[in-house]
Amino acid sequence: MKATIGLEIHVQLDTRSKLFCRCSTDIDDAEPNSVVCPICLGYPGSKPMLNQRAIEHGIRVAQALESKVMPVIRFSRKNYFYPDMSKNFQITQYEVPLAEGGYLLVTGHRIGITRVHLEEDPAKLVHVGGGITSARETLIDYNRAGVPLVEIVTEPDIRSTEEARDFLKKLSLILEHLGAYDPHNEGSLRVDANVSIEGGNRVEVKNITGFRNVEKALNYEVVRQTSAVNMGMPVVRETRHFDAETGVTSTLRLKEQEEDYGYIAEPDLTQIHIASEWVEALRASMPELPDQRIQRLVDEYGITRFQSDIIVNTGLRMSQFYEESCRLYSDAKNVANWLVTYLLKSLNFESMILEESNVRPETFTELLVLIDEGTISERLAKELIKYYVKTGKSPRKIVEENNLDLLPVDDLRVVVSEVVDENQKAVEDYRSGKAKAAEYLIGQVLRRVRARASAGVVRELVLEALKEN
Amino acid sequence: MSILDRVRVLDEEYHFINTLAERIDVEPDGKLKGYTVSVKDNICVKGMQSTAGSKILEGYIPPFDATVISKCRAEGAGILGKTTQDEFGFGTFNINTPYQRPLNPHDPERSTGGSSGGAACLTAVADFPHIALSESTGGSISCPASWCGVVGVTPTYGRVSRWGLIDYANSLDKIGVMAKTVGEAALLLEVISGPDRYDSTVLDAPVPKYTELDQIKGLRVGVPKEYFGEGVDSEVEELVWAAIKGLESKGAKVSEVSLPHTKYSLSSYYIIAMAEASTNLAKFSGLRYGLQETIEGDFNQYFSRVRTLGLGAEAKRRVMLGTFTRMAGYRDAYYLKALKVRTRVIEDFKRAFKDVDVLAAPAMPVVAPRFDEIEQLEPIHHYMMDVLTVAPNLAGIPMVSVPCGSAHGMPVGLHLMADHLEEHKLLKAAWEAEQL
Repeated sequence: MKATIGLEIHVQLDTRSKLFCRCSTDIDDAEPNSVVCPICLGYPGSKPMLNQRAIEHGIRVAQALESKVMPVIRFSRKNYFYPDMSKNFQITQYEVPLAEGGYLLVTGHRIGITRVHLEEDPAKLVHVGGGITSARETLIDYNRAGVPLVEIVTEPDIRSTEEARDFLKKLSLILEHLGAYDPHNEGSLRVDANVSIEGGNRVEVKNITGFRNVEKALNYEVVRQTSAVNMGMPVVRETRHFDAETGVTSTLRLKEQEEDYGYIAEPDLTQIHIASEWVEALRASMPELPDQRIQRLVDEYGITRFQSDIIVNTGLRMSQFYEESCRLYSDAKNVANWLVTYLLKSLNFESMILEESNVRPETFTELLVLIDEGTISERLAKELIKYYVKTGKSPRKIVEENNLDLLPVDDLRVVVSEVVDENQKAVEDYRSGKAKAAEYLIGQVLRRVRARASAGVVRELVLEALKEN
Repeated sequence: MSILDRVRVLDEEYHFINTLAERIDVEPDGKLKGYTVSVKDNICVKGMQSTAGSKILEGYIPPFDATVISKCRAEGAGILGKTTQDEFGFGTFNINTPYQRPLNPHDPERSTGGSSGGAACLTAVADFPHIALSESTGGSISCPASWCGVVGVTPTYGRVSRWGLIDYANSLDKIGVMAKTVGEAALLLEVISGPDRYDSTVLDAPVPKYTELDQIKGLRVGVPKEYFGEGVDSEVEELVWAAIKGLESKGAKVSEVSLPHTKYSLSSYYIIAMAEASTNLAKFSGLRYGLQETIEGDFNQYFSRVRTLGLGAEAKRRVMLGTFTRMAGYRDAYYLKALKVRTRVIEDFKRAFKDVDVLAAPAMPVVAPRFDEIEQLEPIHHYMMDVLTVAPNLAGIPMVSVPCGSAHGMPVGLHLMADHLEEHKLLKAAWEAEQL
């Protein structure tokens, strides 16, 4: 059944300080309630001070989505009582957002953007011993209060869970290219989703954290609504909560209980004029976006579009890694082959992402050089890369420390004659016409030298030795 | 007797202090050297209980100084303590408070006026060098200054930083000053004015030397006809006219002007003020500072209990009315309409100031009422007391109430108003009126 999905995506902007105060946004490892000040705690007498960098990030996001930046913007107070809100109102944008309109193409389908606006993140609630409704007590960490968020609202143009996932992936990649957001920060992307199917009403699912959960929540919701309609039961208009642990949504409030936020203009912040020169300067200095990057890698390095797609879509750091590697090693196609086929596979096998590993362009290209100069075989390199990815150790060092380089032919001859001497039965079998016996001898040699010789060379040497005897 | 001891003695009689400093520390030098400065209780002083006149902030010790306090300290002033006020500034008589209620120095049976009642009272009775920091949202400086017979200056909105001011209605709140003389008021205003990065609404305009007071040759005085007549006590009106004639006799040109939207300003003011106030008060929920209760029930039950206990009747009334004016379905008719009216009121003043330098009117329609009279009034009559002060407050223009004699044995204030950022003109005109 066809689904209609609209998303409201909240992304933490990667600024140095919070939206309205000078507290750091670097809060991941901080003690709870240690990165706070009178402003983000909403102390009496404090007033917000707008962080210009957040506006700048917001404008860049809007431009990347072809959204029109408004010449004059305002902030508003969204009023509701909730313990994660230090002021019991959130400073957000209501009447005049930062930008309006725009779109994002997802595999050729145009997903409309309604608006892009800025707002402050509330504090983080930690429910002790249960979920949002069952916990006995809830702790509040205000470190997150005031972290800048950009909210991106889409039109209800998304037609399936898969399309929603692809949209978010693309959006996340764009934001990463803009330097506006850190994709690996848990909770830096939160989504409210409006989902409906034919014959049902619009249902809002609130506060879904991270990609995988969006997919889970949407899947659950589409299935739930579809089976309700199929059974002739109504899908009521309501707001539901998604529980990440169980993967289930449940009713939070019905439409009649919808909150009235009683918006007023935020009187502590004046109207903000966004100079068109500023907007133009930002557009001119817009970093390269993913689609442009994919094309450029194809043009500049002569790799396939398939490879370029994989490299760029893996993340900004991966495409930077590729280009840095190409600067250190001249055969860009070879770099792409090894990167796409073996490096990514090994990272996946270790469940690692590039950023978490010790893999570096300098050491990665060392591996390719070792093959080219004949120090190791390709076969060995394919094994070695797994160990390299796991440890990040220099491949040349690994080879040296473990004597993994190819043996000189003379050394190999010694091993061959040893094996021949020790296996006279096989030699006789060979001579009596059993050609298979040679294979046995080759296998014995390879077992002894491990990967330090190529099979072809060993075969030649064994056959040569059998002839001589 | 030390100044603090002297204040204790006076406070026994007039009840104007909420929190008194434990000692007075001063910088050795500065423009305010030798002066003590009292602080309305809604202006935060680091380390000194600041309640804004509310029980919900009982015991709240701010961790930072308001910008005006830092500026006063830097200029050598001694911070004396916190003066009484109506809770969060909600009132015209300084009776809406869980703390002590100040008495009018000219008649203890009467109100000092509000909401900055403590500031006006102390300014009137201080027999030592003293200037008061106070605050006006809709008339909270002009009203008590007029009724206690002192000079009260409300500057242009954005002239003085509000960083550290506990909000009533942020788009209307202005920190100002009260003093025995225009010269002293000008001195403190000069110190506290000017840009401040901590308040985005502060105007980035240079601060003239307000203390340079002399006569303005050919001062043009406008008399708004809507500010006289019905509702204004005839003796009050006579005294104000006498002052205007006095200015005329010294060379001022007097003309009548009209501010046609005056009659809408009271409702516009109360809608905007209450809408903003109802959002400002939401943060007082007993979680982080101020009044706390034993934790029982869920968050909604807990904060409701704290607010039931901590907020006074007038505060609750304003939260309810303010919330109503911004609810879906009413927002257009009330809140957004009030914002439009505000623009019209500003246009009225802008038009008038094309032809005149200052406007002159009574600050209050009557002299300070007796407490027993106030008890007979309905809330709507309280609000109507502000009819002459809300329009200039709504417009954000500077104003001063300067004593101009006594009616019924009580002081009367001449209200002078000027265009935005024309405090220098305003203070010169007030100084001239003071000399009459």
